[in-house]
Order: sequence, then C-alpha cells, then structure tokens
Amino acid sequence: MSIEHFLDNSISSWMAGEGKHSDIVMSTRIRLARNLNGYRFPLAFTEDEAHKIDQSVSATLLDASDELHMQFSSFHIKDVSELSRQVLVEKHLISPKLANSPMTGSVLLSNDESVSVMVNEEDHIRIQCLFSGLQIQEAYAQADELDRVLDKELPYAFDEQFGYLTSCPTNTGTGLRASVMMHLPALTMTKQMNRIVTIISRLGMVVRGIYGEGSEALGNVYQVSNQTTLGKSEEDILADLQSITEQIIQKEREARDALLKHSANTLEDRLYRSLGTLSFARIMATDEAARCLSDVRLGIDMGLIEDVDMSILNECMVFMQPGFLQKYAGTSLNTSERDMFRAKLLRERLQKEEKQKTKGEESE
Amino acid sequence: MICENCKQRPAKVTVTQVHNGEHFERHYCEVCANSLHPFYVEYKQDPLSLHQLLSNWFSQTEQQPMQHKQQKNMIVCDECGWSIQRFLDEGKFGCANCYNSFRPQLPNVFKRLHNGNTKHIGKAPGALGEKIAIKKRIEAIRSQMKDAIDTESFEEAAKLRDEARDLENQLSTGGDQTDVN
Repeated sequence: MSIEHFLDNSISSWMAGEGKHSDIVMSTRIRLARNLNGYRFPLAFTEDEAHKIDQSVSATLLDASDELHMQFSSFHIKDVSELSRQVLVEKHLISPKLANSPMTGSVLLSNDESVSVMVNEEDHIRIQCLFSGLQIQEAYAQADELDRVLDKELPYAFDEQFGYLTSCPTNTGTGLRASVMMHLPALTMTKQMNRIVTIISRLGMVVRGIYGEGSEALGNVYQVSNQTTLGKSEEDILADLQSITEQIIQKEREARDALLKHSANTLEDRLYRSLGTLSFARIMATDEAARCLSDVRLGIDMGLIEDVDMSILNECMVFMQPGFLQKYAGTSLNTSERDMFRAKLLRERLQKEEKQKTKGEESE
Repeated sequence: MICENCKQRPAKVTVTQVHNGEHFERHYCEVCANSLHPFYVEYKQDPLSLHQLLSNWFSQTEQQPMQHKQQKNMIVCDECGWSIQRFLDEGKFGCANCYNSFRPQLPNVFKRLHNGNTKHIGKAPGALGEKIAIKKRIEAIRSQMKDAIDTESFEEAAKLRDEARDLENQLSTGGDQTDVN
C-alpha cells in the first residue's frame, strides 16, 4: 500500500474507541526492543551495517506475512517527505528518533496500523502493537507472535545474565515497554494526579504526558508504563500494569461520580462552554484545543453531552497536531496560521456532525 | 491566567524584571515569551538526563583513588571501540559486546535503573527460550501436583509427576525427545 493510505486518514484502528474501558483507556501499546548479533547498535554502526540490517529484517517480515495473517507495507524513512514523517509521528506509528535518523531505516506497517515495526531506530528492531482500549494481553500476544517469527530467522543479541541486549540500559532484559494511554480528567480536576503519580513511581511504573518523556499531560491524557525491564518476567510486568490500570480506572470513576454528585451544574457548564469554544472559536492553540476536547469527551462519557460522537474526538486529538494541520492545509503554516486553521477544522468537524444529526432526524 | 502580551493564549512563562530595585512579574505565553525575550532558553530544558544520572551514580560507587578510576574508565569494548566513559556519557551502549566488556561494572548501573534487579528472568530467544519455557512448564506442573496431593487426588498427582519427569528428561538431553527412557 502507498504511504498516502497511512497519511490521509487521521483515524487508526487504535482510535476506534473499542475495547474494554474505552471511555477511560484510549489505547494500549506494547513495544519490544531487539537487536541482532554481529552488528553494532544504531548509535555506533555504519551505513553499510544499517543497510544490511534493514534488508534482512524487512525481508523476514514481508516473507512471514502469510504466517502472521498480516500484510505489511514497508517504507524507507529516507523516501518519506519530512512532513509525512511528522504525520506518522503524530499518529504514533514511528518515533521522532526514527523520523530524524540520518541512517538507513524503515518502518513496516500493517494495513490496519495496529502493528508497526521500526528498523534502525535506537535499536535494530522495535516491534510496536497499538490496540484500542485496555487490551494488554491481546497486544502482547500480537507482539510476541512477531517476535517469534523474527527470532526463527534472525540471530538476536541475548545474554543469559542481562537478557535481551538493547542500546539503552533502561530497556535491557525483556526489552518490553507496556503502556496504556488514559484520559483522566476527573482525577486531574480534583487534584489527585500528583499523589497517584508518586504512588505509581514507587511500584516501578511511570506516568507521563501523552507525547512521551518530559511532556506535560496535554488534554488530561496520561501514559502509564512499566519502568523496570530487568529482573521481572514479561507476565509479571503485564499483570502489574493491568492491576495498576484497573485501580486508576476505579479512582477516575469514583472522582467522576463525586463531581456529578457535588457540582453537577458547574461541571455541565464547564463542559458545554468547551463545546461552545470548539464550535465557534476562531483562534485555537494546541493546549486550549486539547483542554476543550478533553472536556467534551468527559461530557460524552458522563452522558451530559449527547449529540457528539466519541470517535470524532479521538480524530480531533490527532488532526489538531501541527503536522496533520499542514498536511490538510496543503502548505506550511506558522504558529498563528496554524491556530486559525486548527480552529476552522475543529469548527467544521463539529458542525458537520451536527448537520448529519439533524439531517438524520429529518429523514426519520 | 492569560498572556499579558497577546491576551489570547494561557500564560506559561513568568518573567521577572528588576527595575530600580523593584521586582516586576510578567506572565506570557510561550510564543510571546520567545519573541519578547529571545535569550530566555532554560525553561524547556530536560531537567536531568539519563547520562548525567549514570555518570553521577558511577562516580559515587567508585571511591577508589583517582589513578585507579582513570584506568577503569579506559576499559574499551573491542567490538565497537567505545570506552566505558563513552557509555556513561551517552547513556547508551555501542554494541551488544559492550555488555560483555563492561560486565563487572554493569550490575551497579542496572541496580539503580531497575529497582535493584541485575538479572534477567523473562523469556529468551531460540533454543534457550524453549528450555526456559520447559522449565516454566515443569514449575507449573509441580505446583498442580502439590494441589493434587493436598486434595488427596493421588492418581492425578502421579500422572503429573510422570509428566514433569518427561519434561525434565527432555531438558537434560537438550530437548531431544528420541532418547527419553
């Protein structure tokens, strides 16, 4: 499939809003880091090594598509334009590191975008599975299957003491990073997040903002993932994440109930104001858009806002990012032009939704 | 709070100005702050990076005299040519063989990164992986066997014992099933 297939649509399968607890858990991601024996890691290798690794990993995966019941499209990063790379980053299909790598690297994408394998990112191989809602076991099973297929053909760098050898010592061992992306507006509003972040960090887990390390929680979206990869089996890592996620879900639901009980009017007012802003504003910066979308999403979840579809919000969260906006606009935009274009798109998207609704009602 | 300059975006940057001994606080959004105070660079820097932490931990644990320490930092991986100092500076390994070259020093690093753990206990690739998988199955069977004995289902327990024994034989013969017995 052409790269356009993966760029045109801002909705990936993980945004479908399906899966368990999908009102709170937006997506589950599993990532396995692997390296091949006989080649230096990407920080130290030569272009020649990069090229050979790219060839053998890509060929192995493309050959295994029948066994995996999965079609892959493979793209050399160098052949992808800068803006298209940014769009792939914003869809979480590749990392910024791969997008900016000067060496030969590739990404292999399954047609439904749930699987992406990066070649020559920080490690030779990065298997990533992105599922909608809370599906830790399902996503891991998928990643494990790909790992098995690659393991059959390629010599993995492994050490009995240290496990899978990775470029960064924070991934050594299982090379497994399991994470869930959660929308936690009620815990944020009731100022409980700081406490939760502290507790979680004591359990070998990390909480971050949506765009990874160091980023703030834009739009009340947090990413919870395991910190430890050494000395803990895959099963334990997954089970711990599952149980922590379930507890956070529980706390978020309690906080939502409490908000509804004690300040329903204030809450409803705030959520509808955000819907108003999204529907009518002319200038919209990223963080304001993220905040308003979070409010509207909460409104839908709690049944306070009824005539907006959830999947639209997931889509808006993605296309309001700079790369997507410029792709839609078909030209490069500076910050203030982006803020205006973002406002325009959000407005159009929400009004389109409204029109469809009223049309539907008329024809009934 | 909104930005004092554009009065549109939320204020995120506080600029403190000192004028005739008096302090003034100004609140700007990032965009305006950047255009009004182009020299202001610190606010988005990574507070502390991995390689900084690594270097600090490493120097803390190495309390030897300077000369000894320098020798230690001269350890070089013969595959990629990276020294242990380079590993600490970058916070990354150069190649898989670095793990071998720096093996004695690594537990100290891992202990801090992985909650005190220094040994992998998860899955393994290839033949080794199969071996580990068999070991795990034996453990599972053993615990089932214990349950069976506790509930006095001895026939069941005997069956499980045989099953575990078969698997153990498989392990000791390197997974080759033909010469069991």
